Amino acid sequence: MKLIRTIILISTLALLPACGGPAIQYGDATGVETTSMGFGSTDLQTIAAKLVDDLLSFPPITQETMTRRPVVFVDTIKNKTTEHIDTESITDTIQTKLIQSGKFRFIDMTAVKAMQAQFDFQSDSGMVDPMKAVAFGKQIGAEYMLYGNMSSIVKRDKKNQDIYYKFSLKLINMQSGILEWMGEKEIRKVGKKGFIAM
Amino acid sequence: MRYLLPLALVLALAGCSSVNETGTMTLSGDESQQIIESNSSWGAKLHISDMKAGQAGNLLKAQARIKNTSKKIVNFNYKFKWLDKNDFEVAVDSRPWTPMSITGYEAKTVQAVAPNPSVTSYKILVQN
Repeated sequence: MKLIRTIILISTLALLPACGGPAIQYGDATGVETTSMGFGSTDLQTIAAKLVDDLLSFPPITQETMTRRPVVFVDTIKNKTTEHIDTESITDTIQTKLIQSGKFRFIDMTAVKAMQAQFDFQSDSGMVDPMKAVAFGKQIGAEYMLYGNMSSIVKRDKKNQDIYYKFSLKLINMQSGILEWMGEKEIRKVGKKGFIAM
Repeated sequence: MRYLLPLALVLALAGCSSVNETGTMTLSGDESQQIIESNSSWGAKLHISDMKAGQAGNLLKAQARIKNTSKKIVNFNYKFKWLDKNDFEVAVDSRPWTPMSITGYEAKTVQAVAPNPSVTSYKILVQN
């Protein structure tokens, strides 16, 4: 009986590393990440998912995007937290989801310099057939601007730490200056101080 | 020795997280079908119910209710998956596993909007 119990115990313990696999392995990029208390991939993904859902289901926007795809420009997101957070990565994910929804088109300001260089090449180098060169002054101006803020409140005592993040995103009409939509996502993380690495 | 064996078993099982409950809502014209599957062999604490589908313009809007049937607080993750009319998954991995906390006997509603108009059905997966 003792021998059987020992065999079961050893084989059960052998299952433990089998669940974890080898030292290096690929993980699920959409899985929940809790390595540290700091801003992580799960926070980025849940913020983007929530705000895109809110924007796409807001009735005036739903109506506006039923028959046409408005042109949007993304401004920077102000990072008011004490952490270094790549807010451009959050807006990139939001922009990707909005483009893939087929509801919006975007002006990419990060590509302006490269496009200018290409225009100069097409018009000045003498290597491009003038009939087939891209015409100047034909680009479409953005009708809306997406911008926002990210802030955090950190509280700690001897044992615990609590981090609250708030991400606000706004859509303003460039012509009228009217704020057409605003969305917020809040995240609260609570952890023991021992395993915090911010 | 008496306590070591059950403890080792619990540790081994806790190491592997898996999907405990899956709800599938299929829409075809005016008809809809709801299938909820439980994969938990020992007393599931979370249950999916009241799956609904609506429209936000021409995008499918999904809603489900998740109920904690235990008296303790439960931390869990959920994820939506989208399917087109031919049952092909749309925008694979576009939704993250979303963490959520639910107090004893509480029910929470979760919502999501489909990534594009080709979506006609959805799945919700719950993992704890």
